[in-house]
Amino acid sequence: MKERLIFGYDPFVLPFLIGMIFIIAYLLVGTVRIILSLNNNEKKQLFRIFIPVNAYKIVKDIILDCLLHVKIFKRNLLLGYMHSSIAFGWFMLIVLGHIEVMLFTPQRNGIFYYPIFFRYFVMETEETLQGAFFFFVMDFFLLIILSGIALAIYKRFRSHRLGMKQTTKLRLGDNIALYSLWLIFPLRLLAESFTADISGGSFITKGINDLFHSFVSNPANTLPVWWAYSCALGLFFFTLPFSRYMHIPTEILLIVLRHVGINATSLRDGYSEAEIYSCSRCGICIDACPMSFEKKDVKFTSVYFIRLLRRREIAEQPADLCLMCNKCVEVCPVGIDSTKLKLICREINNGAISFDYTPVKYNSPLKREKLLYYGGCMTNLTPSISTAISKILDKAEISYVHLDKDQTICCGRPLLLSGNLKGARELINKNREAIISSGCTTLLLSCPICYKMFKEEYDLKGIEVVHHSVYINNLVKSKRIVLKKTTDTCVYHDPCELGRGSGIYEQPRELLSSMMLLKDSPLQNNESICCGGSLGSISMPFAKRKIITGGSLDNLLTNDPDLLVTSCPLCLKTFTPLNSKRTADIAQVVSEQMIN
Amino acid sequence: MVSPSENLNLNNMYKNVLVLGGGVAGLQAASSLRDLGYRVTLVEKGEKPGGHLNNWDRLYPGNITSSSVIDGYLSNSQGIRILTNTTIKSALKSDKLLTVITSSSEEITVSAVIITTGFSLFDATIKEEYGYGLYNGVITNADLESLFISGKIHNREKPSRVGFVHCVGSRDDKVCNRHCSKICCMTAVKQACEIKEIWPETEAFCFYMDLRMFGRGYEDLYYEAQNKYGVNFIRGRVSEVGEDENGKLVVKAEDTLTSRPLKISLDMLVLMSGMVKNPDNKALSAIFETSIGEDGFFAQPHPIVNPTGSSSTRIFFAGSATGPKSVAESVNEAKSAALSVHMLLSNE
Ligand code: SF4
Ligand code: SF4
Ligand code: SF4
Repeated sequence: MKERLIFGYDPFVLPFLIGMIFIIAYLLVGTVRIILSLNNNEKKQLFRIFIPVNAYKIVKDIILDCLLHVKIFKRNLLLGYMHSSIAFGWFMLIVLGHIEVMLFTPQRNGIFYYPIFFRYFVMETEETLQGAFFFFVMDFFLLIILSGIALAIYKRFRSHRLGMKQTTKLRLGDNIALYSLWLIFPLRLLAESFTADISGGSFITKGINDLFHSFVSNPANTLPVWWAYSCALGLFFFTLPFSRYMHIPTEILLIVLRHVGINATSLRDGYSEAEIYSCSRCGICIDACPMSFEKKDVKFTSVYFIRLLRRREIAEQPADLCLMCNKCVEVCPVGIDSTKLKLICREINNGAISFDYTPVKYNSPLKREKLLYYGGCMTNLTPSISTAISKILDKAEISYVHLDKDQTICCGRPLLLSGNLKGARELINKNREAIISSGCTTLLLSCPICYKMFKEEYDLKGIEVVHHSVYINNLVKSKRIVLKKTTDTCVYHDPCELGRGSGIYEQPRELLSSMMLLKDSPLQNNESICCGGSLGSISMPFAKRKIITGGSLDNLLTNDPDLLVTSCPLCLKTFTPLNSKRTADIAQVVSEQMIN
Repeated sequence: MVSPSENLNLNNMYKNVLVLGGGVAGLQAASSLRDLGYRVTLVEKGEKPGGHLNNWDRLYPGNITSSSVIDGYLSNSQGIRILTNTTIKSALKSDKLLTVITSSSEEITVSAVIITTGFSLFDATIKEEYGYGLYNGVITNADLESLFISGKIHNREKPSRVGFVHCVGSRDDKVCNRHCSKICCMTAVKQACEIKEIWPETEAFCFYMDLRMFGRGYEDLYYEAQNKYGVNFIRGRVSEVGEDENGKLVVKAEDTLTSRPLKISLDMLVLMSGMVKNPDNKALSAIFETSIGEDGFFAQPHPIVNPTGSSSTRIFFAGSATGPKSVAESVNEAKSAALSVHMLLSNE
């Protein structure tokens, strides 16, 4: 293999070269801007990349997420293949191109365009095993990419064939970038086929050369094709910043920022900026979002919310409408915390509204007991749950204090979710005082909304915070209460705040299985569908909620259970009027199945 | 006195009509049809005719007892074939006749059907935050009427405060009922007055969203409730009900006139359970090829000019099968439906 052109240059490389220089400059400036917009503390945090564990994690995540797209693979094989074939294939072409330059034309090392257009500049002198090997792998990866591109084209028009009900709608910048991306590799194939009889090739490039010999070996056709290839690359680089493909470089930055422990605090700080640009608009969050039960509401899903942010348009409506069920966050392959971004939006928009509180206080001096039970507003609306819990505790002979038996102070989560941090703080302080002064060691909660709040936002050192589904399960395991079996079957609904919100999936299932046959539903655990009642949304009307509740119920009742069990008072309230079967809280079921 | 059937077209004698549902609308429709000379079969799924009125003490205006209304119909039911504990399984349509098969496999061939299947009382346990079924002090309007009928109300300890919650299961999207049940405002006012009659010192509170005093004499009773009986009216929905250590009900609500949250302890709370669709409507509608509205009640194609007509020629409606109605309105509709049947059949 040796050089064919003395100067190692031809004007056709210019579109690529200019595009490349543009994009590198753009990315450098962008990165510097993001880093500059970090506050001092965060900047210091950046040095944590040099800690070996972090560095290892960053590299691992970049390989797994940006190149191999393992997370998409796990959700959907075809879609994963589509993403990883293009990303990994392209990456390998670049790496191998560089290796070829190093091996065969070391004098050209460091010239930007050389590895890309290597085949144009060299000619095959003698057949070597090494050369043939490179021909083969280059062709191989090109084929892989082409198959990915073919899938991508197919997906654009037939998204459901790739297991996606909906795919994202594109605008001009995206479209140009998309078409140039689609063009790059077929053009590369063609260009390399043209020179395959000069510079060598393997099974496809050579094959095409043999097949269309008279056309491709015509030197007059060669250069235009290489020009076209270079133009497609250049065009792609130029439109990259204005298209969704910005996610390719940005995701790397996002991974770095995440691993050094930086988090979003405002809508346009370094981290959120990186998140916004990292969204590949893969559309996975569209199908996951319960709002997409109604086709016209697809526009409120996270992908479009993020796009509004990116364009600096008003994103208040989707931010307020979102149920904060966190499913989109759970499924997002990039790990974008879009609900956090929505929360920040709400803080800006609603933080100013002042709610007028009549002063509330816990009046009666509390008895001192180790166990403190706090029902919260939601349990006060579903007294069957608190009644069941008190029955269970009495049976287990555990004495306790019911903090909010006839007086309620909200845990503060609704205020927090509405963006009113100040109001939430007031409630938190009030409750915290009452809880700490009660001298309890365990705080029992029957509402996942409160549970998440007490776990994450209250600083209750030394006090164990536990949800009733876990607490009761422990009572059963330690034989403090004994349950009888029934022949009824049930299905379990994972409340958003308990499942995705707090990672509790197993204990409630274990508890239910000890009483009856627990049936599965197609989407459960972290894939569970919000009941629709979520107080996360501050503007969703009942008509829309009803549709979501219906969709969620359809999923739960797939296997025709006798009973729908949940462990959240709000889910219970939401499902009951629409469920044709019985809906019950896990505590109710236990209290009915207790034997002495 | 001339017997009503004497001056009627003899043709009618041989025509059968089915009335479905033995509440006040059904009883009135049946007796009107009988008076017009038809052979009437009244099918009732319960043990005895009378419907919801069997469980109601007194009616307003006029303060007459429900039992007297029902007794009036039953004592004059000669010529009406009443089948109790019976439902309809299917119906076969032929040219001018319908053959209906009952749950006891009897075939009845009729020329027309009047559907008077009425309403169901909203199941108050669904509004769990009001604690019905959990706290002894929480009862429904129907429970209170039963206490009045049986006289057991006098066995109860005198409550110092009684509350009435309007719109329980009505005007409430959360339980999928958007409609107003029309008569429960009036019922609450009536029951509050009745409680004050029994225990004059007891304080009574009505928690309402709007007071819908639509009928003649209703507004008068509302004034009387305030001026004569001293019933307190609080505009605002009850948010939740709890029980304190002493077993007293703790009711939280909002007083929207003063824009303040309110907490009050009561001894008894009466829930105005609303009127909701009869659960049989769907099946019946399929059998008789009629249609059902979004609220689950039967739908009339022309509710204003032909409130008793359905989309099938031989099927008619009367009473609260087509939405909440008072007793007087149901009686009126029953007569109207009977007349519509007569106009159809006497021309054939
Ligand atoms: S937010 Fe995540 S899941 Fe949704 S489109 Fe963007 S990358 Fe995909
Ligand atoms: S949090 Fe839930 S409702 Fe909100 S956008 Fe994500 S999936 Fe949709
Ligand atoms: S009549 Fe009164 S209490 Fe009944 S549903 Fe209507 S407004 Fe509510």
